[in-house]
Amino acid sequence: MTDTGLTRAAATADDKTERDWFEIAVAAALPAAITLLALFFYVKAPVFMTANNWIAISVQVSALMTISIPFAMLLMAGKIDLSVGSTLALCGVVAGLSFEPLGITGAVLLTLAVGTVAGLINGVLVSSIGMSPIIVTLGTLTLIRGLAQWLAPNPIFGFPEEFLVIGYERVLGLPVLTWIMLVVIALGTAVMALLPIGPQIVALGVNQRAAFLVGLRVKAIGVGLYAATGFFVAVAALMSISRINSAPAGTLGVGVELSVLTAVLLGGIPFTGGKGSVLRVVLGVWLLGMLSNGLILMNVPTELSLMTTGIVLVVAAALDVLRSRRG
Amino acid sequence: MRLEVKDLRKSYGPVAVLKGVDLRVEAGKVLAFLGANGAGKSTLLNCISGAQDADSGDILAGDASLRGASPRQVQDLGVAIIYQHFQVFEGLSVAENIFLGHEIKRGGRVDRRAQNAQARELLERLGVTGIDPRTDLGMLGVGERKVVEIARALRLKPKFLILDEPTASLSDKEAKALHSVIRQAVAKDGIGVIYVTHFLDEIPKVADQVTILRDGRILWTRPVDEVTIADMTDAISPDAMMHGLEKVPFSADGPAVLRLDALTTGFVGPVSAELRAGEVLGIYGLMGAGRTELLECLSGAAPKTGGRVELDGREVSFTAPRDALSKGVALVASDRKEQSLFASFPAVENLLVPHFGRSPMPKLLRSFQREGREFERAARRLNIQPPNPRLQGQRFSGGNAQKIMVGRWLVEGSGLKLLLLDEPTQGVDIGARHELYEALAEVKRKGTAVAVASSDATEICLLADKILVLGRGKQVALIDNPHDEELLIELAHRAEHSTQQELPASGAGAQQMEMMQ
Repeated sequence: MTDTGLTRAAATADDKTERDWFEIAVAAALPAAITLLALFFYVKAPVFMTANNWIAISVQVSALMTISIPFAMLLMAGKIDLSVGSTLALCGVVAGLSFEPLGITGAVLLTLAVGTVAGLINGVLVSSIGMSPIIVTLGTLTLIRGLAQWLAPNPIFGFPEEFLVIGYERVLGLPVLTWIMLVVIALGTAVMALLPIGPQIVALGVNQRAAFLVGLRVKAIGVGLYAATGFFVAVAALMSISRINSAPAGTLGVGVELSVLTAVLLGGIPFTGGKGSVLRVVLGVWLLGMLSNGLILMNVPTELSLMTTGIVLVVAAALDVLRSRRG
Repeated sequence: MRLEVKDLRKSYGPVAVLKGVDLRVEAGKVLAFLGANGAGKSTLLNCISGAQDADSGDILAGDASLRGASPRQVQDLGVAIIYQHFQVFEGLSVAENIFLGHEIKRGGRVDRRAQNAQARELLERLGVTGIDPRTDLGMLGVGERKVVEIARALRLKPKFLILDEPTASLSDKEAKALHSVIRQAVAKDGIGVIYVTHFLDEIPKVADQVTILRDGRILWTRPVDEVTIADMTDAISPDAMMHGLEKVPFSADGPAVLRLDALTTGFVGPVSAELRAGEVLGIYGLMGAGRTELLECLSGAAPKTGGRVELDGREVSFTAPRDALSKGVALVASDRKEQSLFASFPAVENLLVPHFGRSPMPKLLRSFQREGREFERAARRLNIQPPNPRLQGQRFSGGNAQKIMVGRWLVEGSGLKLLLLDEPTQGVDIGARHELYEALAEVKRKGTAVAVASSDATEICLLADKILVLGRGKQVALIDNPHDEELLIELAHRAEHSTQQELPASGAGAQQMEMMQ
């Protein structure tokens, strides 16, 4: 009889204890922080609270969001991809180099293929062969960056006008980039909430051994997630270069892996995976975007803005520790 | 005033668990309630508590019938139940635990002072002075926690109190203190008590009468001073338990579902055996005998290194559990926490995780309605407590979590042919154990072949039709169930200490052995 310890099985829905209030407080922290921050910026710089500024934020975070959603799913499954920034650069360079020989459609397709293949390679090394995700993608981070710089030692610029419209055109009142971001959010939410694959992805992060033993396609899901991440990094690369009209192999996407990680952790996904919600990740990304936008509007120097982001992340991590201790 | 059970009957599918139970508890008396594992105790308690409804018969508290009442209504009618598993919470004070869900409020806020005072009064009434109502429950020992649970139950002034194995995890000293608490409650408030226990020596100390439940019926009820320990032992011996389960019909003339021919995997083998539809193969051996390795190989989790495995007459070679699953072979792994439970998953997802996106669940879009129905079905069939589909896996007791793990493979339409179970009742309490055994009996009846590996010889003797004994990875014996734990233990031990050739030749019951091919 090893099972005579305290069990909380009796804590059914009608038992409202202090614990529940704590849970609610934690769940409300992110939306509350966003609201307070928005009010703060509004007071300091009224221009912050305009439709145009919010649309501007959405454009600024669109690429980050596009990467963060699949990245979050990867993290939920207990994996990680540190090579997203380098892959972004490689995809940007590949697109930039292939517009002339292949035309826009060809270049876009090639870029998406390159991103997907980069993800597939990570996925096979991590999921099929079983190497450590951090080490593998740390390796590919450097490798892919080198590859991008080798392909394009000098910045590429001057893309076809028909491609650049992605970066500035509006459809139904919203920028194309914002629409792409919204589609990615909708896709991610649907996959996690409505498709049978959703709980299987999280299951990998909760208990990989159990997932294997109950017959989930552990390897295939892992490889698929990496490939999807690579694909959406390619999408983000196209979004980015269409906005800046250049693809500098040395600087494009540098540090993106850290921004993505910050946003995703802010969104409440533990570093060890196993749980999380796409919509909270959206809020995490949005918080980051709002923060940098607001600080710029307030004319805060970049260094200070960087420090603020760091502090926000540490606070979020502290909250997470607190939550897991209480739970 | 009396609590009366009249001709109560309850079946799970074709299995009759309660076959007409008559029981009577008078106010001011303690009735000790005994029964072997599997006799139907937990089912009876569930029927009384409102967790389940019986099929026929009646339960009367005074004049009011409890049939069809919800647990809350049963409580309101004056019947309180204290389960074996603690339902008190660390992080709350003793008084907060006692008043949980019924807080004393003043001006919309919890009146802690009044709660503390009343809690102290309640405890003193039970003759307990050593517990400060303000201390955190986490500071208390298990015995004191049980007392807190009793105080909580008595706060609602019940007329009847049912205690399910209250001393199961208590030391002798704590048990003694608990007995006096119970006698106090009976003497002061005149309540009637049903006291479920496995410990015979505590019965004369706490009870007025003894009732034995056996095979779904009341065997006898006698005043405690007219009963000897031997009378009671007879009634609840393991034989009685087997008696109940042996009756499960089993036809061994069906086709062979599984055939192992000199199978080797890692250090295990060669193993040769045959398993028919509806047959249970018990795999017994000491630690490190290779039980888990053999099951993992059969489930596709570990590769086979030699020999043949035939499923339904066709040779198979699984490369992953998924592969095995698509052929109708599923494993419930040992070590629930590490290998089968998804701790943070809600119960419904824990149950259905192997089935998402494949038959019989919808392939494309999840159907939450369907998922809820499947959970409800499993919860009812296995008596998963609490039957809350959103509760996280880690919040269930070991027994109930294990029911969910086994329930995964009982989902209708998953096409299961062979169910492999590794230590299925490890860390599972006695009540849930019975319910799991019952579920296996049902699986068996449906014609699924079952292989159970266990280090518990009693369990093997109880469940198996055939027994494979392993020793250091070698097949020691393949015998029809001798219903003799000693023999199994002897075989397994001898395998560890001698060479293989000597093994099957000597020893009691050797004539029962089919020599391996």
